[in-house]
Amino acid sequence: MTAILLPLAHALASRKDLPIPTWLFAWGASIVLIVSFFALSVAWRTPRFENDRWRPLGAGLSRVLLGRLAQALCGAAGVFLFGVAIYSGFRGTVAPDRNFALTFLFVTAWLGIPALSVVLGDVFRPFNPWRAIGRVAGRGFAAIAGQPAAHLRYPDAIGRWPAAVGLLAFVWLEVAYGSSGGVAVGVSPDTAATAALVYSTYTLAMMATFGVEKWCQTGEVFSVYFGMFSQLGLFAVRAGKLGRRLPLAASTHWATVPGSLAVVIASIASTSFDGAQEGAFKGAIARTFDWLAEAGLSLTASLRLTDTIFMLLCFAGVGLVYLAGVRGMASVKGAPSLAKLRSGFAHTLIPIAFAYLVAHYFSLFVFQEQAQFTYLLSDPLGTASTDLFGTASGGIDYRLFSANAIWYIQVAALVIGHVAGLTLAHDRATSYWGDFRQAARSQYWMLAVMVAFTCFGLYLLSVANS
Amino acid sequence: MNSNISRVVAGVAIVVVAIVLLIVLKDSGSNTDSSKPGAVTTITVEGGKPVGGVAELTYSRGEQVRFEVESDTGDEIHIHGYDLMEDVEAGGSVSFSFPATIEGVFEVELEGRKEQIAQLTVNP
Repeated sequence: MTAILLPLAHALASRKDLPIPTWLFAWGASIVLIVSFFALSVAWRTPRFENDRWRPLGAGLSRVLLGRLAQALCGAAGVFLFGVAIYSGFRGTVAPDRNFALTFLFVTAWLGIPALSVVLGDVFRPFNPWRAIGRVAGRGFAAIAGQPAAHLRYPDAIGRWPAAVGLLAFVWLEVAYGSSGGVAVGVSPDTAATAALVYSTYTLAMMATFGVEKWCQTGEVFSVYFGMFSQLGLFAVRAGKLGRRLPLAASTHWATVPGSLAVVIASIASTSFDGAQEGAFKGAIARTFDWLAEAGLSLTASLRLTDTIFMLLCFAGVGLVYLAGVRGMASVKGAPSLAKLRSGFAHTLIPIAFAYLVAHYFSLFVFQEQAQFTYLLSDPLGTASTDLFGTASGGIDYRLFSANAIWYIQVAALVIGHVAGLTLAHDRATSYWGDFRQAARSQYWMLAVMVAFTCFGLYLLSVANS
Repeated sequence: MNSNISRVVAGVAIVVVAIVLLIVLKDSGSNTDSSKPGAVTTITVEGGKPVGGVAELTYSRGEQVRFEVESDTGDEIHIHGYDLMEDVEAGGSVSFSFPATIEGVFEVELEGRKEQIAQLTVNP
């Protein structure tokens, strides 16, 4: 018997991507190699991205966008939308594709916010529903008690590890956890709503313990995850002022907090796993599933355990490739300590992580957003009981993007992510190695790491859904 | 010595890519399309499952998709993406014929049982 896998993309979207054709795979891989060697030969000799050259924008703009009113409105909007998602999850239809909850949480927010963040900066922070609730609660407490709430000191040694673990748990829920009794897994709307409530309770408790901002910086999965992508973006708030900065540059100081490397690796690993389970790993997953089922586990348990094993294998695999590159760099004369190298190049993987997201989820996002802004918006419960904006009868036009257009976008995302990653890695090397020749030498190792990730990404696309 | 190491690494990277390319090229060479244009494929469903596993229907855009489903159980047959639905009675059959206008990979499913019976692939 073979496993019937029903990952989220499948439960929501009726259309899956065609594998990229061989010629495009070959072109993609060739361009990656050519670009890489070209990058090595023209490289600059002094760091350019260590300082993000933040400059404030107009004071009026800051006053309006960062004012109390805007903050209250954004926070309220975040809490409201999150509330609608939870309510729809519990009260709406069980059909995943007709319920507001799944598309809003797993597509619009989960995929849309990274896309906005990469361009603009940290857009999630003002809308973060838990931060909004936490801040109001903090104000309330201070007003009643007459003093701000006291918090425990956050153990800085664990840094962003809680977020890394939470990220894997979230993706596990998305792709590996199933609520149906049969052999098909796929998260149902009410499971998602329950998980959202459990996570909210946990997050608010942690905020009360360690402080709202501290927890957002280190433990709150979504703040940390979206915040990671926002490091590449154009705008940032500093000392109460909104300003412009050099794209990519802010990421150079992101990984100084422990556990950051685990967050970016978890991101690449979970997207790889989701992309590979219906392509590259399909056969291996089916065999493991059969083996576990024959060993006496129930079908659902076998399926979840199989998915869990492969997800952890992806995490270990991505981590090992990166660590091998770090080991290699350490062998170059004049290298800083292994620990410094390990965290010092973690941010160079952020563009790769984003490229993987685009390559794997672009079509799901553009098609599913049509559902989000037509029938899911007008009829969030999916029970045909409301038509709030008159768009309840709308649908998805799968002809919007041809297969060719999707292929080009997927491959272009990987190549651009590769170039951005190489840029950051080279820049970091020039700041770590005083001698330019040694810096360039160290980058052969990072080049190998990046080529491995990018070609693996291309490979996943070439065997997707085949 | 270090420059030797880096040359080795660069060499290894190229070799890895070459091997991956070779595997993919070789794989794609052995792929054969299961359906011929014009031919009508029949999918037989017994006990709510497709006989011989999930059928593969491969077309190019613009071609006419034709297939027939014979089922010993009553259900509704749903072609995702194209959103075509037809009821099939127990022991009956239903045939589909429509132009392949949307590119991508789509499921053909027994809607009631949530059982995939065929995978429709439409290439550009």
